[in-house]
Amino acid sequence: MVAVPKPRRGAITGKRWVFLVSLGLMAGLLFVPAGHSDYLNLTFRNILMYAAMSYGWNLIGGYTGYISFGNVAFFGIGAYCSAVLSKAGVDNLFADVGLALIVNALFAVAVGLPILRLRGHYFGIATLGVALGLTDLASNLDFLGGSGGASIKQIGEAHFTTYYYAMWAVTLACMIATFFIARSKLGYAFVAIRENEEAAQVLGISPTRYKVTAWAIGAMMGGAAGAVFGAANGFIDPPTAFAVDNNVFPIAMAILGGMGTASGPFIGALLLSGANELLQQHFLKLHALFFGGIIVLMILFLPRGLMYLVGLRGGMRRWLSDLAVFRV
Amino acid sequence: MIRTIRLFLAAALVFAAFGVPVTQARAAGDTIVFGSAVSLTGSLTKEGHLTQEGYDFWKDYTNAHGGLKVGAKTYKVDIKYYDDESKPNTAQTLAERLIDQDKVDFLLGPYGSGTAFTVAGVAERKKIPMVEGNGAAEKIFNQGYKYTFGVLSPAKKYLQRVLEMAVNQKPRPQTLAISASSDAFSLEVQDGAVTWAQQHGLKVVYANKYPDGATDVSSVISAIKAANPDIILNAGHLQDAILVNKGLKEQNVQAKIIGYSVGPDTPDFVGTLGKDSEDIVGGAQWSEAVGYRGIPGFYRTAKEYADAFDKQFHHRPDYHDAESTAACLAFQYAIQKAGSLDREKVRDALASLSITTFFGLIKFDNRGLNVYKPMVVNQIQNGKLVTVFPAEIANAKLRYPIPVWGKR
Amino acid sequence: MQLVLQNLVNGILSGGILALVALGFSLVYGIMNIINLAHGAFLMLGAYITWQLWSTFGLDPILAVPIAFVVLFAFGYGIQRGVINRVVRAPVLATFLLTFALSLLIETTALFVWTGDTRGVQTAYTGANFTLLGVTVPWAKLLTLVVALAITGILYLWLHRSRLGRAIRATSMDVGAAQMVGVRVAHVYGITYALGAGLAAAAGALLTLSYPLTPTMGDPFLIKGFVVCVLGGLGSVEGALVGGLVYGIVSSFATQFDVTIAGQHLSGTGLQDVLALVVLLVVLIVRPTGLVGRATA
Repeated sequence: MVAVPKPRRGAITGKRWVFLVSLGLMAGLLFVPAGHSDYLNLTFRNILMYAAMSYGWNLIGGYTGYISFGNVAFFGIGAYCSAVLSKAGVDNLFADVGLALIVNALFAVAVGLPILRLRGHYFGIATLGVALGLTDLASNLDFLGGSGGASIKQIGEAHFTTYYYAMWAVTLACMIATFFIARSKLGYAFVAIRENEEAAQVLGISPTRYKVTAWAIGAMMGGAAGAVFGAANGFIDPPTAFAVDNNVFPIAMAILGGMGTASGPFIGALLLSGANELLQQHFLKLHALFFGGIIVLMILFLPRGLMYLVGLRGGMRRWLSDLAVFRV
Repeated sequence: MIRTIRLFLAAALVFAAFGVPVTQARAAGDTIVFGSAVSLTGSLTKEGHLTQEGYDFWKDYTNAHGGLKVGAKTYKVDIKYYDDESKPNTAQTLAERLIDQDKVDFLLGPYGSGTAFTVAGVAERKKIPMVEGNGAAEKIFNQGYKYTFGVLSPAKKYLQRVLEMAVNQKPRPQTLAISASSDAFSLEVQDGAVTWAQQHGLKVVYANKYPDGATDVSSVISAIKAANPDIILNAGHLQDAILVNKGLKEQNVQAKIIGYSVGPDTPDFVGTLGKDSEDIVGGAQWSEAVGYRGIPGFYRTAKEYADAFDKQFHHRPDYHDAESTAACLAFQYAIQKAGSLDREKVRDALASLSITTFFGLIKFDNRGLNVYKPMVVNQIQNGKLVTVFPAEIANAKLRYPIPVWGKR
Repeated sequence: MQLVLQNLVNGILSGGILALVALGFSLVYGIMNIINLAHGAFLMLGAYITWQLWSTFGLDPILAVPIAFVVLFAFGYGIQRGVINRVVRAPVLATFLLTFALSLLIETTALFVWTGDTRGVQTAYTGANFTLLGVTVPWAKLLTLVVALAITGILYLWLHRSRLGRAIRATSMDVGAAQMVGVRVAHVYGITYALGAGLAAAAGALLTLSYPLTPTMGDPFLIKGFVVCVLGGLGSVEGALVGGLVYGIVSSFATQFDVTIAGQHLSGTGLQDVLALVVLLVVLIVRPTGLVGRATA
């Protein structure tokens, strides 16, 4: 029998105090609408949206170790749920999010059962295939508006604030759900699968069941963000709903913040989106170069993400020796 | 050391997240500030660059001529740009930023229908007038928006004009094949052409769409070849036009007229295809040949505009440049008519504007779309873009039917 | 019938170049476990080098293929040894993000060097074609296919016969064991990554014959290469070839299908990529390691 290294509690959620700081930052974000700036509302709503998507990816990619390149599919499905409901005359955020949760859970289970049998890279590409396929499919389906897209009726006068708080609530839910899932038996099972799938199976953890569970919960997170985005944006079309950025950024955020932690995606989203926004403002054409440069430096010096630095004991020497492990 | 790095990163985090709001205020006082998100990186870089040239040309002209006289006061003009990376969502955020943080007075449109659509939504909500010259999809104007104005002819007209010209040729062409890229603009172009063809006795033998950003269209070409049409059109962008044109030659597909919605008017088309671009026609918003005589206040003819433009940017303006400058002109005359910088008054002045410029008539229907200015048809002859339709302004005769591949 | 044959030819011709695009990507992915998102940027650089040589010296694109290969080979080796190697053993996502950022840097730099203008190469045989059994075959694309196949063949032989080639394959199977028998892993990784970059550049050079150049031209090819290399089987030369051809033929034949179900028109032309992706998913479910992949790949 192979022994599964039992993860320490801290290793599964990240440092407790960091999580508390993240909650504090979330509380701070409650006051963004008080600035009465649509620009700030939109910018921070996007940051929250990316964070929620990043949490969705983090469950399957960070905790279970199955790297998905297609989580944007869930976001897109969520956004289209809002569009379909709006077309049917239902304009209610709770209904939008509710439908997105159900549809995404069902879709994730249906797709997950066959493709989660695939290992590593093959799983990754299968998910990418699903996302790419859905994009083109959506542009060919008339009842979804095809390439022309679909409008979603906006609710209320002060709607910008409403949608901001809706996205905030979704993100907070993702954050707290991740925290509790990570500490529960479910979380231990996810990590056990990531560390050694065969061993986990020997220990009586059914990999398929847990993998599909992680995948489906992550799908619901991305879907909820998508549903709020669709309603808030008032319009979606395939390139918006399944945008490449929505696929790459959440992964980048989870990596830079710290994969498999409860605060990593949020911290990563704040950092990466904030940096992008600032560069975008100050460097008309060069911003892409600086943005790329920052990511290169981050990966070269902090390949394990920011959470690693927080938990680091042993100073510079330990850091360098940890880095050296990755060299050939 | 580690402690320092941690502190630094924490500071960077706070700065990155909350430094966003810290920004400069608008250049107030005697300057009118326009804001625009244009594509300076990404897939629409080239077109975004042309848009910026068109805007800057007007700005430099106006400032060099003492500025813009509004009522009793004269203002300098300035344009604040951001790079939307060719992405609609980014353009939307930047529009919010231009309005809320940079406090611009008015918006000039981005390049492309996708980006113009999201920015139009922002302009509407914030009640900031926007004039755009580079988003032709009618989708933008069918939302009931009151603050967005487009100086250009709508997408549906792009290839209709080519068909209008075609049916007057002898022998009269009988059949049409039209492919389209799967994006909102191109599908509207295709729809407009197909509808027109059916109403005017042209048989549509092939009409289909291929994925947006396709890298290979050879099977689309084969299907068109099998349908053996008299007219071959493609609704798409520059890349599509180049791919389709190469494909048609490679499979030796002959037709009496070959035309593209966007492409032939960009100098890159001839540069990329060389002599294979010969005799290709394209629907265009404007050409140097148009004979409008504009009202005073700016270059009054297309020729004067083009010559001055060439002096500043060292290339002839294409219609993307011209329509961008025209967007600025709409603002210029509307602001002067309103006699004020008040956004509501300028909006009303735009809505009732009716002026002739070097670009043609600028007048908006109740959706904010300039349906009054006709399109022209250009053809590439001896490596040069000439205007062949409508006859009143044509500076060359249409070559019809076009010679077979290899005989050009 | 004629259209069926024509579409078969179209599919093979477009599949051949996809195979070459996927080949370098597949090697780097399969051997070093790096999802090289800079592959599209390398392809773009290869195309621009070819265009530059053509427009400055009038050099034929086919003759520029080896030059583009060598330049990007050196560039790729430098990037691997200088940058990627520092984190090559980190979890796969670290290098994933690193190469994403590198592609951003390369594409933005290209925008400054060559501007956003669309470029193209014209040769005496551009668009020239011949007809056989009613099927039109363009010379440029046939030439592209032949060169792509030749490169694939040479690579296959080199990987199986040469000392360094065997070292690369050994390293992909077991790094520890390879090290033990004296393989210099850092050098082998450098060569592998360099090969990937060189092959991307060769594909880019060949693509100039049929495809317009812009600084972002590599992006759609990167995504297709990603899919194709898994369709055939990761890390194997034959896999990339089979995957490319299958992808090309499926999406080519898709254009012949056109149905209306319950008022919903489904155009095979519009759905060609969807159909190819469905094939990918079915293949993966039936054969989880690709069409010609081995269980250990």
